[in-house]
Amino acid sequence: MLLAAIIFLAIGGFSLRAQAYFVQSNWLSWGLSPGSVVEPYRLTHYSPLAITGIWLVITSIGLGLALGVRHFLIPLFTRTWPFLLHRSASRQMILGAKLTAATIAFVVSLGSVWIGLYWYACRSELFMVPPPVRVFIEGWLFIVLGLVVYLGTAMTALSKARWYTTKILGLAFAMVVICMIFLQWRLSWALAMVIIGVVVLLSQIIDTFLNREF
Amino acid sequence: MTETVLQTQALTKYYGSTLAVDHLNLKIPQGCICGFVGRNGAGKTTAIKLMLGLLKPTAGSSRLLGCDSQQLLPAIRQRIGYVTEGHRLFRWMSINELQKFQRAFFPKQWDDKFFADMIEYFNLPKKRKIKHLSNGERAQVSLALALAPNPELLIMDDPTLGLDAAIRRQFLEGMIELIMRQGRTVLFSSHILGDVERVSDRIVVIDKGVLRANCSLEEFRAAVKKVILSFTDSPPADVDIEGLLHCRRSEKELELILVGPADEQITQWAKKSGAQNHQIVKMNLEDQFIEFTAPPNHRRLFQWEEK
Repeated sequence: MLLAAIIFLAIGGFSLRAQAYFVQSNWLSWGLSPGSVVEPYRLTHYSPLAITGIWLVITSIGLGLALGVRHFLIPLFTRTWPFLLHRSASRQMILGAKLTAATIAFVVSLGSVWIGLYWYACRSELFMVPPPVRVFIEGWLFIVLGLVVYLGTAMTALSKARWYTTKILGLAFAMVVICMIFLQWRLSWALAMVIIGVVVLLSQIIDTFLNREF
Repeated sequence: MTETVLQTQALTKYYGSTLAVDHLNLKIPQGCICGFVGRNGAGKTTAIKLMLGLLKPTAGSSRLLGCDSQQLLPAIRQRIGYVTEGHRLFRWMSINELQKFQRAFFPKQWDDKFFADMIEYFNLPKKRKIKHLSNGERAQVSLALALAPNPELLIMDDPTLGLDAAIRRQFLEGMIELIMRQGRTVLFSSHILGDVERVSDRIVVIDKGVLRANCSLEEFRAAVKKVILSFTDSPPADVDIEGLLHCRRSEKELELILVGPADEQITQWAKKSGAQNHQIVKMNLEDQFIEFTAPPNHRRLFQWEEK
């Protein structure tokens, strides 16, 4: 979690600054000046968080995979599920605790860094155009993509399918959701896909976890 | 009347087409120390996991402390201690961290002093991580974690597996500590019959998923007998004595493994069959168990014969 935050802060921060200098050194050649009206396509292309966003997606997916493996796959290999499950807590509570911990991990590590970078981009005078709120929301959407990958990894770990091809369906579904989002990027479309992804995977995980043999 | 703390009814479990537990009907009364024995793959771990609701039965049911195993409430689980097979604990935690983790689930029952005493008795370093502990040390931590909440029922799955004699003794002494508290029930599976003999007052034998015995240890010890009969000529072809498990022949001798018949019955049959003399050989529990669970066509790998 800390590693993901550091990686994203380092690479995201560096790319943000690099892009800021790039925009600053080129804005005159693009025919822009402070206070000029910016066309939407330019806003998209030269948004100070465009490159940082890519790193946010990569770190988020990485964190999702790592947490999914840590929470669901490693206990299977180390056979610690029976020790964890036999206690004065229902399976719902144990699963809820894991999912809540993962969500908090995403918010604390990547979310806080993202808020910091967005705040910096808005406040910094290096940028000609402050990033719109939509960019901020998109960043959070990228963070939720990591959560989708986390759920996909959890589903794959919990699956009792005999064949690897059927076992990785959960993770494959998460990847399909991500591909669908980036194949046709639109905020509303992306939001809808993320919601579908989370609902489908979450319902499957709850059902599997509550009825699975350990 | 003694309360039944653990009960299974026709408990059956298939893994695919493999039958692991076959119509297990078991009753364990309160306050007994029950040794759950069986060969490798006999179905002990599966039966224990079924009882704890970690596996789903193919058929039948089981109840722990009056509650259906498949719907064990957290409040019931709180009253049951469980030592997992191989003492699988969170490797990244230290003993101190595990104590805090476990204590959070037993806020009212957790006995901090008892846990500290056990850790001190076993001479375990509290700050050391589980992954840096030996097998024996992990077993000791596991036992301390299971006993500190003062459970009414303690279920242990092969707790002494892989431990050396000294650690095993310490472990059993730790178990006896719980046994000393009145009304506590212990069910522990084991391969080491000496351990079962030392602490158990009841024995449950399971073989290929089938319950073969569920009685007091004394009853079992008295029931399984080895009889050696000597004949002047070759022994009789038909052996029709009650409770016959195995019959091994040599030129002028007959070795019988019997379950149940009284010594008088054996003497009568020996006379009837024309035996020159007969001897009822005293067996230790391990030999009794091996003979009791050996397949009917079982033969010794090496047959030493005097020439």
